[in-house]
Amino acid sequence: MVERNGRLSLLLQRQPSGQVVPLRQIRGHEPHGSPSLSWNGRYVAALVQQGNQRLAVIEDRATGRLHRLPLPGDQPPVKLSLAPDGQRIALELLQGGQRRVQLFDLSGMLEPDRPAGLAVRGGGPSQEATQP
Amino acid sequence: MRPGVAIGIAASLGLLLLPGCMGGMPVPLPGLNRQLEQAGSSREPALSERWLALISGRSGREQVLLLDLQRQLPVPLPNLNRLDAQPLSVGVDASGERLALVRQLEGRTELVLYRRSLGSLQLIPMVPAGVPRQVSLRADGRELAVQLSRNGLWQVDLIQIP
Repeated sequence: MVERNGRLSLLLQRQPSGQVVPLRQIRGHEPHGSPSLSWNGRYVAALVQQGNQRLAVIEDRATGRLHRLPLPGDQPPVKLSLAPDGQRIALELLQGGQRRVQLFDLSGMLEPDRPAGLAVRGGGPSQEATQP
Repeated sequence: MRPGVAIGIAASLGLLLLPGCMGGMPVPLPGLNRQLEQAGSSREPALSERWLALISGRSGREQVLLLDLQRQLPVPLPNLNRLDAQPLSVGVDASGERLALVRQLEGRTELVLYRRSLGSLQLIPMVPAGVPRQVSLRADGRELAVQLSRNGLWQVDLIQIP
Protein backbone atom coordinates (compact mmCIF):
# COMPACT_ATOMS: atom_id res chain seq x y z
CA MET A 1 0.00 0.00 0.00
CA VAL A 2 1.30 3.49 -0.80
CA GLU A 3 -0.09 6.88 0.07
CA ARG A 4 -1.35 8.92 -2.89
CA ASN A 5 -3.04 12.25 -2.35
CA GLY A 6 -3.49 11.40 1.31
CA ARG A 7 -5.24 8.08 0.65
CA LEU A 8 -3.90 4.55 0.76
CA SER A 9 -3.64 3.03 -2.69
CA LEU A 10 -2.73 -0.46 -3.82
CA LEU A 11 0.49 -0.81 -5.79
CA LEU A 12 1.30 -4.04 -7.63
CA GLN A 13 4.95 -4.62 -8.47
CA ARG A 14 6.47 -7.37 -10.58
CA GLN A 15 9.38 -9.00 -8.74
CA PRO A 16 12.35 -8.83 -8.93
CA SER A 17 12.23 -6.02 -11.52
CA GLY A 18 10.01 -3.71 -9.44
CA GLN A 19 7.99 -2.85 -12.56
CA VAL A 20 4.60 -1.41 -11.60
CA VAL A 21 1.64 -3.34 -12.96
CA PRO A 22 -1.54 -1.28 -13.51
CA LEU A 23 -4.74 -2.26 -11.71
CA ARG A 24 -7.45 -0.75 -13.87
CA GLN A 25 -10.58 -1.92 -12.08
CA ILE A 26 -9.64 -1.26 -8.47
CA ARG A 27 -8.24 2.19 -9.24
CA GLY A 28 -10.57 5.01 -8.21
CA HIS A 29 -12.00 3.23 -5.17
CA GLU A 30 -9.47 4.36 -2.58
CA PRO A 31 -8.66 3.99 0.21
CA HIS A 32 -7.58 0.45 -0.49
CA GLY A 33 -6.60 -2.09 2.12
CA SER A 34 -5.49 -5.65 2.84
CA PRO A 35 -4.06 -6.68 -0.57
CA SER A 36 -3.70 -10.39 -1.34
CA LEU A 37 -2.36 -12.14 -4.46
CA SER A 38 -2.91 -15.51 -6.11
CA TRP A 39 0.02 -17.75 -7.14
CA ASN A 40 0.82 -16.04 -10.45
CA GLY A 41 -0.67 -12.68 -9.64
CA ARG A 42 -3.70 -13.27 -11.85
CA TYR A 43 -6.06 -12.35 -9.03
CA VAL A 44 -5.61 -9.33 -6.79
CA ALA A 45 -7.98 -9.20 -3.83
CA ALA A 46 -8.35 -6.09 -1.71
CA LEU A 47 -10.71 -4.00 0.34
CA VAL A 48 -12.03 -0.92 -1.45
CA GLN A 49 -14.36 1.95 -0.69
CA GLN A 50 -17.70 2.37 -2.44
CA GLY A 51 -19.53 5.37 -1.02
CA ASN A 52 -19.72 4.75 2.72
CA GLN A 53 -19.32 0.99 2.30
CA ARG A 54 -16.19 -1.11 2.68
CA LEU A 55 -16.16 -3.92 0.11
CA ALA A 56 -14.03 -6.94 -0.67
CA VAL A 57 -13.27 -7.23 -4.39
CA ILE A 58 -11.07 -9.35 -6.64
CA GLU A 59 -9.57 -8.04 -9.87
CA ASP A 60 -8.92 -10.71 -12.49
CA ARG A 61 -5.94 -9.37 -14.41
CA ALA A 62 -6.34 -12.00 -17.14
CA THR A 63 -9.87 -10.94 -18.12
CA GLY A 64 -9.98 -7.40 -16.77
CA ARG A 65 -13.07 -8.26 -14.72
CA LEU A 66 -13.82 -7.11 -11.23
CA HIS A 67 -15.55 -9.53 -8.87
CA ARG A 68 -17.43 -7.93 -6.02
CA LEU A 69 -17.96 -10.13 -2.96
CA PRO A 70 -21.37 -9.44 -1.44
CA LEU A 71 -21.49 -10.36 2.23
CA PRO A 72 -24.52 -11.39 4.24
CA GLY A 73 -25.88 -8.81 6.69
CA ASP A 74 -24.10 -5.79 8.06
CA GLN A 75 -20.61 -7.22 8.50
CA PRO A 76 -17.95 -4.82 7.25
CA PRO A 77 -14.77 -6.58 6.13
CA VAL A 78 -11.60 -5.62 8.04
CA LYS A 79 -9.03 -7.86 6.41
CA LEU A 80 -8.84 -10.60 3.80
CA SER A 81 -6.60 -13.38 2.60
CA LEU A 82 -7.00 -15.03 -0.80
CA ALA A 83 -5.89 -18.64 -1.23
CA PRO A 84 -2.97 -18.88 -3.69
CA ASP A 85 -5.11 -20.83 -6.17
CA GLY A 86 -7.96 -18.30 -5.87
CA GLN A 87 -10.49 -20.94 -4.86
CA ARG A 88 -11.15 -19.70 -1.32
CA ILE A 89 -11.03 -16.49 0.61
CA ALA A 90 -10.81 -15.81 4.34
CA LEU A 91 -12.48 -12.61 5.47
CA GLU A 92 -12.10 -10.96 8.85
CA LEU A 93 -15.50 -9.41 9.52
CA LEU A 94 -16.76 -7.09 12.22
CA GLN A 95 -19.77 -8.75 13.84
CA GLY A 96 -21.38 -6.91 16.73
CA GLY A 97 -18.12 -5.27 17.71
CA GLN A 98 -16.20 -8.55 17.61
CA ARG A 99 -13.83 -9.67 14.89
CA ARG A 100 -14.49 -13.04 13.30
CA VAL A 101 -12.80 -14.83 10.43
CA GLN A 102 -15.12 -16.55 7.97
CA LEU A 103 -14.22 -18.73 5.00
CA PHE A 104 -15.87 -18.60 1.60
CA ASP A 105 -15.60 -20.85 -1.44
CA LEU A 106 -14.89 -19.05 -4.73
CA SER A 107 -14.69 -22.07 -7.06
CA GLY A 108 -17.97 -21.03 -8.73
CA MET A 109 -16.57 -17.56 -9.43
CA LEU A 110 -12.89 -17.94 -10.30
CA GLU A 111 -10.80 -20.33 -12.36
CA PRO A 112 -7.90 -21.81 -10.37
CA ASP A 113 -4.57 -19.95 -10.62
CA ARG A 114 -2.15 -22.83 -10.16
CA PRO A 115 1.59 -22.65 -9.49
CA ALA A 116 3.69 -22.35 -12.64
CA GLY A 117 4.63 -25.67 -14.17
CA LEU A 118 1.72 -27.64 -12.70
CA ALA A 119 0.01 -29.86 -15.24
CA VAL A 120 -3.58 -29.08 -16.16
CA ARG A 121 -5.76 -32.18 -16.45
CA GLY A 122 -8.18 -32.64 -19.31
CA GLY A 123 -8.36 -31.11 -22.77
CA GLY A 124 -6.37 -33.90 -24.46
CA PRO A 125 -5.79 -37.63 -24.61
CA SER A 126 -5.63 -39.29 -21.22
CA GLN A 127 -2.27 -40.15 -19.69
CA GLU A 128 -3.02 -43.88 -19.99
CA ALA A 129 -3.68 -43.54 -23.73
CA THR A 130 -0.28 -41.93 -24.31
CA GLN A 131 1.70 -44.51 -22.36
CA PRO A 132 4.03 -46.57 -24.59
CA MET B 1 -33.52 10.89 -18.39
CA ARG B 2 -30.10 12.48 -18.70
CA PRO B 3 -27.23 10.11 -17.74
CA GLY B 4 -25.95 12.47 -15.03
CA VAL B 5 -29.38 12.52 -13.40
CA ALA B 6 -29.63 8.73 -13.55
CA ILE B 7 -26.22 8.35 -11.88
CA GLY B 8 -27.19 10.89 -9.24
CA ILE B 9 -30.39 9.00 -8.40
CA ALA B 10 -28.60 5.65 -8.34
CA ALA B 11 -25.89 7.06 -6.07
CA SER B 12 -28.43 8.55 -3.70
CA LEU B 13 -30.11 5.14 -3.43
CA GLY B 14 -26.77 3.51 -2.75
CA LEU B 15 -26.94 1.66 -6.04
CA LEU B 16 -23.84 2.99 -7.75
CA LEU B 17 -21.94 -0.18 -8.53
CA LEU B 18 -18.33 -0.78 -9.33
CA PRO B 19 -17.66 -1.46 -12.99
CA GLY B 20 -16.96 -5.00 -14.16
CA CYS B 21 -18.36 -8.45 -13.55
CA MET B 22 -20.96 -9.00 -10.86
CA GLY B 23 -21.47 -12.72 -11.60
CA GLY B 24 -21.03 -15.53 -9.07
CA MET B 25 -21.25 -15.47 -5.33
CA PRO B 26 -18.84 -16.42 -2.57
CA VAL B 27 -20.29 -19.47 -0.79
CA PRO B 28 -19.81 -19.69 3.00
CA LEU B 29 -18.19 -22.90 4.26
CA PRO B 30 -20.44 -23.78 7.22
CA GLY B 31 -18.40 -26.63 8.75
CA LEU B 32 -15.18 -24.63 8.82
CA ASN B 33 -16.93 -21.44 9.93
CA ARG B 34 -18.49 -23.33 12.86
CA GLN B 35 -15.01 -24.52 13.81
CA LEU B 36 -13.79 -20.91 13.69
CA GLU B 37 -16.67 -19.67 15.85
CA GLN B 38 -15.77 -22.24 18.48
CA ALA B 39 -12.28 -20.74 18.67
CA GLY B 40 -13.71 -17.43 19.99
CA SER B 41 -12.81 -14.14 18.36
CA SER B 42 -10.48 -14.42 15.40
CA ARG B 43 -8.48 -12.00 13.30
CA GLU B 44 -5.48 -11.66 10.95
CA PRO B 45 -6.32 -14.57 8.61
CA ALA B 46 -3.64 -16.04 6.33
CA LEU B 47 -4.89 -18.61 3.84
CA SER B 48 -2.60 -20.94 1.89
CA GLU B 49 -3.96 -23.99 0.09
CA ARG B 50 -5.27 -26.38 2.79
CA TRP B 51 -4.10 -24.21 5.72
CA LEU B 52 -5.58 -21.24 7.50
CA ALA B 53 -3.47 -19.46 10.11
CA LEU B 54 -5.03 -16.79 12.30
CA ILE B 55 -4.94 -15.20 15.72
CA SER B 56 -7.75 -16.38 17.95
CA GLY B 57 -8.72 -15.09 21.36
CA ARG B 58 -10.67 -16.28 24.33
CA SER B 59 -10.85 -14.77 27.81
CA GLY B 60 -8.52 -11.96 26.81
CA ARG B 61 -5.70 -14.23 25.73
CA GLU B 62 -4.70 -14.49 22.09
CA GLN B 63 -2.78 -17.23 20.35
CA VAL B 64 -1.86 -18.44 16.87
CA LEU B 65 -4.16 -21.12 15.49
CA LEU B 66 -3.44 -23.25 12.42
CA LEU B 67 -6.45 -24.97 10.92
CA ASP B 68 -6.19 -27.91 8.54
CA LEU B 69 -9.00 -27.14 6.11
CA GLN B 70 -9.17 -30.68 4.72
CA ARG B 71 -9.57 -32.34 8.11
CA GLN B 72 -11.38 -29.29 9.54
CA LEU B 73 -9.28 -29.46 12.67
CA PRO B 74 -6.65 -27.31 14.39
CA VAL B 75 -3.14 -28.76 14.37
CA PRO B 76 -0.66 -28.59 17.26
CA LEU B 77 1.96 -25.83 17.20
CA PRO B 78 4.47 -26.89 19.85
CA ASN B 79 6.72 -24.11 21.22
CA LEU B 80 4.97 -21.36 19.24
CA ASN B 81 2.38 -19.88 21.60
CA ARG B 82 3.56 -18.38 24.88
CA LEU B 83 1.50 -16.99 27.70
CA ASP B 84 3.68 -13.87 27.85
CA ALA B 85 3.63 -13.13 24.10
CA GLN B 86 1.11 -11.11 22.12
CA PRO B 87 0.78 -12.22 18.48
CA LEU B 88 0.20 -9.37 16.01
CA SER B 89 0.34 -10.90 12.54
CA VAL B 90 0.82 -14.36 11.06
CA GLY B 91 1.51 -15.92 7.66
CA VAL B 92 1.66 -19.55 6.49
CA ASP B 93 3.10 -21.30 3.44
CA ALA B 94 1.16 -23.70 1.20
CA SER B 95 2.61 -26.80 2.87
CA GLY B 96 1.67 -25.65 6.36
CA GLU B 97 5.28 -26.23 7.42
CA ARG B 98 6.46 -22.63 7.82
CA LEU B 99 4.71 -19.89 9.72
CA ALA B 100 5.95 -16.31 9.99
CA LEU B 101 4.86 -14.43 13.07
CA VAL B 102 5.13 -10.88 14.35
CA ARG B 103 4.75 -10.82 18.11
CA GLN B 104 5.40 -8.67 21.14
CA LEU B 105 7.51 -10.35 23.77
CA GLU B 106 9.23 -8.85 26.79
CA GLY B 107 8.64 -5.30 25.60
CA ARG B 108 9.95 -5.71 22.06
CA THR B 109 8.30 -6.50 18.75
CA GLU B 110 9.95 -9.25 16.73
CA LEU B 111 9.56 -11.31 13.58
CA VAL B 112 10.08 -15.05 13.92
CA LEU B 113 9.96 -17.98 11.52
CA TYR B 114 8.44 -21.18 12.87
CA ARG B 115 9.08 -24.63 11.38
CA ARG B 116 6.23 -26.88 12.41
CA SER B 117 7.90 -30.26 11.86
CA LEU B 118 10.79 -29.21 14.12
CA GLY B 119 8.80 -27.05 16.51
CA SER B 120 11.64 -24.52 16.11
CA LEU B 121 11.63 -20.73 16.17
CA GLN B 122 14.14 -18.54 14.36
CA LEU B 123 14.41 -14.81 14.93
CA ILE B 124 14.49 -12.82 11.66
CA PRO B 125 16.44 -9.60 12.23
CA MET B 126 15.34 -6.31 10.63
CA VAL B 127 18.32 -4.83 8.75
CA PRO B 128 18.57 -1.85 9.04
CA ALA B 129 16.73 -1.85 12.35
CA GLY B 130 12.97 -1.43 12.31
CA VAL B 131 9.83 -2.49 14.15
CA PRO B 132 7.82 -5.15 12.28
CA ARG B 133 4.03 -4.84 12.20
CA GLN B 134 2.60 -7.21 9.59
CA VAL B 135 3.95 -10.20 7.72
CA SER B 136 3.00 -12.17 4.64
CA LEU B 137 4.70 -15.42 3.66
CA ARG B 138 4.96 -16.43 0.00
CA ALA B 139 3.06 -19.65 -0.73
CA ASP B 140 6.28 -21.59 -1.43
CA GLY B 141 7.71 -20.44 1.91
CA ARG B 142 10.87 -19.02 0.32
CA GLU B 143 10.26 -15.31 0.84
CA LEU B 144 8.35 -13.07 3.20
CA ALA B 145 7.13 -9.50 2.98
CA VAL B 146 7.15 -7.57 6.21
CA GLN B 147 5.64 -4.17 6.90
CA LEU B 148 7.78 -2.30 9.38
CA SER B 149 8.27 1.08 10.90
CA ARG B 150 11.73 2.51 10.22
CA ASN B 151 12.84 6.04 10.99
CA GLY B 152 9.23 7.10 11.38
CA LEU B 153 8.13 5.71 8.01
CA TRP B 154 6.16 2.62 7.08
CA GLN B 155 8.20 0.45 4.74
CA VAL B 156 7.94 -3.04 3.24
CA ASP B 157 10.98 -5.34 3.21
CA LEU B 158 11.25 -8.53 1.18
CA ILE B 159 13.32 -11.16 2.96
CA GLN B 160 14.59 -14.38 1.36
CA ILE B 161 14.37 -17.47 3.54
CA PRO B 162 16.93 -20.23 3.02
